[in-house]
Amino acid sequence: MKKQSMWSLRLSTAALVLIPVAVGVNYIGKLLAQLLKLPLWLDSIGTVLAAMLGGPVVGALAGAINNIIYGFTDPISFVYAITSVAIGLVVGILFFKGYISSWGKAIVAGLIIGLVATVVSTPLNIGFWGGQTGNVWGDALFAYILANTDSTWLASLLDELVVDVPDKLLVVLISFGIFKGLPRNVVQLYKNNEKIETLD
Amino acid sequence: MKSISLYVDKESFIHDFDPITKLLYILFALFLPLILLSFTVSFISVGVSIVLLMAAGVIRKTIPVFSFVFLVLITVVIIQGLFRPENETILFQIGPLAMYKEGLLYALTITLRVMNIVSAFLILVLTTKPSDLVETLVRKGMSPRIGYVIVSVFQIIPEMMASMSTITDAQRARGMETEGKLSVRMKAFLPLLGPVILGALINTKERALALEVRGFNSHVPKTYLYEEKTHALSKWVQAILLLLLVGAGVWRIFG
Amino acid sequence: MNKIVVEGLKYKYPLSDTLALDDLSFQVKEGEFIGIIGKNSAGKSTLCQALVGLVPHFYKGAYGGKVFIDGLEVKNQTIADISLKVGMVFQNPFTQVTGSKMTVYEEIAFGLENIGIPRSEMIARIDYVLDLLKIEQVKDQNPFDLSGGQMQRMAIASIIAMKPDILVLDEPTSQLDPAGSEEVFQAIQSLSKQGITIILAEHKMEKVALYCHRVLLLDDGKMVDINTPGKIFSRGDLEQHGVAAPVYTRVCKELGVRKAGTSEFPVTLAEAESVLRGRKI
Repeated sequence: MKKQSMWSLRLSTAALVLIPVAVGVNYIGKLLAQLLKLPLWLDSIGTVLAAMLGGPVVGALAGAINNIIYGFTDPISFVYAITSVAIGLVVGILFFKGYISSWGKAIVAGLIIGLVATVVSTPLNIGFWGGQTGNVWGDALFAYILANTDSTWLASLLDELVVDVPDKLLVVLISFGIFKGLPRNVVQLYKNNEKIETLD
Repeated sequence: MKSISLYVDKESFIHDFDPITKLLYILFALFLPLILLSFTVSFISVGVSIVLLMAAGVIRKTIPVFSFVFLVLITVVIIQGLFRPENETILFQIGPLAMYKEGLLYALTITLRVMNIVSAFLILVLTTKPSDLVETLVRKGMSPRIGYVIVSVFQIIPEMMASMSTITDAQRARGMETEGKLSVRMKAFLPLLGPVILGALINTKERALALEVRGFNSHVPKTYLYEEKTHALSKWVQAILLLLLVGAGVWRIFG
Repeated sequence: MNKIVVEGLKYKYPLSDTLALDDLSFQVKEGEFIGIIGKNSAGKSTLCQALVGLVPHFYKGAYGGKVFIDGLEVKNQTIADISLKVGMVFQNPFTQVTGSKMTVYEEIAFGLENIGIPRSEMIARIDYVLDLLKIEQVKDQNPFDLSGGQMQRMAIASIIAMKPDILVLDEPTSQLDPAGSEEVFQAIQSLSKQGITIILAEHKMEKVALYCHRVLLLDDGKMVDINTPGKIFSRGDLEQHGVAAPVYTRVCKELGVRKAGTSEFPVTLAEAESVLRGRKI
C-alpha cells in the first residue's frame, strides 16, 4: 500500500457509496445497543469500518457526514463532527500502515483511538457543556473530581475517558471482527489503487 | 417509508424561506451573543427563535429535542452550582450542600448558549427538507457527489432498519436470547448486526454500477429538475442579519 | 454502419483465475436488436458491462482486445462519456434505485440532471418515458415503495430518458409477470423501430426469438455463434451449451417440421402456426 493511494482525494464511486452505508451502520449499531440495553454507545462501527475499507479520507468523510446527518435529529451532534472526523482519520492511517492486523494490535489500536476521541472531545465538552458528557457514570465522576481537585479540565478529561475508551475499544474490536469476516471481493471493491492489467 | 429527519411538511412563511437564509440566521444567533457578551441579547435571541418556531407551526416537534437538552442542563446546573472551582458566594444551602452564585451564573451562561444554538438549528431542521438544503448547497458550489452521499443517507437508514428488524425477528425465532444478563445481550449484538452490514456492503457494488451509468461522474455542469427556491424577502432578511452582525462587531470594538 | 465492434475481447475479474470473457469478436450494425443467450455465468452480464465500459473501468482486473462504440475505443474513454452513448439497465431493480430521490419522477430526473439536460427538455423526456413504460400512475410515489415490476420499469425509464444510441438490457423483465414483461418488450421494440441499437441478455427464449434480429450464444465466456434466431435455435447442440430453444421450436423439432425450403425450425408462435397449418394431415 503506497502512501499516495491512502490519501487519494479522487474517491471511486464504490468508495463514495460506502459512506452512506457507514452512516447507516453507525445508526443501527447505536439503535441495537439501546435495544439490547448495553451500557455503551457503539455508534461508530460504520465510521471505523469505512476507514478500514476505504482509507482515512473515506473514514473522515463518513465521520463528518455522520454527525451532520445526526444534527438533523439532534442539533448538538454537529459540534462533535470533529471527533468523528478524527476517529475516521486515525483508524484509516493505523489500518493502512498495518497497525490493525491482529486481535492483539486491534486492542492497542482501540485504546489509541479511544484516547484520540477523548482528547478531541474534551475541549468541545468544556466549551459547550461546561465539561460534562451527558453520560450518567462519566458525569458522576466529573462531579466527584470537580469537588476534590478544582480542575475543570482534569474532571472533564476523565469524564470523557471513562466513557470513550471502553466504547472505542469495543467498536474497533467489533469492526475488526466484521472486517475479517467480509468476502474478499467485497473488500476489493473499495480499493482505489488497482491498475488494469493487460491480456494482449 | 419512515423518515429519520425531523422535517415537518407544512405551509408557513418560515418554510417558504430558502435554506441559505436559515443557515445565515444560525450564524447570526450563534455570533451575536458571543460578540455582545450579554445575557439580555442571549435571552432575546432564544426568544426570537422560539417565536419563529411557533410561527412555523412546529413548536410541538421541538419538545423531544428540548427535553433531552434540559435533562443534561439540569445536571450542569447542579454540578456547576455545587462544585465549580471559582465558587465563592453561597446563594443558599440545602442540608450540607451549598449552592454558589458563580457556579449558577456559569450554568446559566451554558444553558442560554445551548438553548440558543439548538433553537436556531431547529428552525432550519424542522422547516427545511434535507434534499432541498443539499440541492441549495450544491448550487452554491458543494460537490454534487458529496451532496448525493448526504441525501442518500436519509433513504439508506430506513432501508437498513427494515433489514435489521427482519434479521432480529428471524434470529429470535431461531431461539436467540436478546434479554437477560449483560453477557447474553452482548453476545446477541454481532449476529444481529453482522448480516445487515454484509448485505448493505454487497449492495454497494450494484448501486455504484447503477450510478456510473447514470452520469454520476459526468463533468458536464449539472442541471436541476426544480427551479431554485427563493423568497422575495430573502435578500432583505439576509442583508439585515449581516448588517446587525457587523454593527454589533463595530459597536463592540469602538463602543 | 457498424455501431459496435468487438475484437478479440478477453477479460478476467480481479481475484479470479479464469477468463470471464474469452476472445470474443463480433460487430453490431446501427439499429440492430441483438439477443445474448447462454446459461448462468456464461458471461452475459460481463459482456453487457464491457459494452458500457464498466468492464474494465469499474472492476479493473485484466483486459485484452478492443471494444469500439461508434469508433471510440471503450478502454480509452471514461464510463461517464460512454454512458452518453450507451445506456445500461441491470438485472436487480432494487439496487438500481439511486437512493437519493423521494419520488419516481425525481428518480428518473437523476441521470438527466447529471448530464446537464435543460429543465424544460428534462420534463418532456420524463413525461415521455413515464408514458412509454406505463408508470405515470406511480410518478409521485417513493421509489422504494414500488413493486419489483414497477421498479424494473422505472429503471428502464430512467435509462431511456437519457436517450442513448445504444441500449444494453441485462434481463430487464426478471421481476415482471408475463403481461408486464410483454408490455416492456413492446416498449423496447418501439425504441428499436426508432433506430436505437438494442443489446439484450435474456433467459426468456420466446421473447428473444420474437424480437431479436440476431442472437449471440455464449458458453463459458466463449462465443459459440452469432446468427439469426432461426439458425441459432435450430442448432442441434443447444442443450450442450445449457440453453433450451423456444417452446415452439422444441415442439416442431419433435414433430420434425421445418420452415418451407430451409433447414430451420420455426422459432415463434406465428412461424410455428403457419408451418403447422400449411401441413397436410
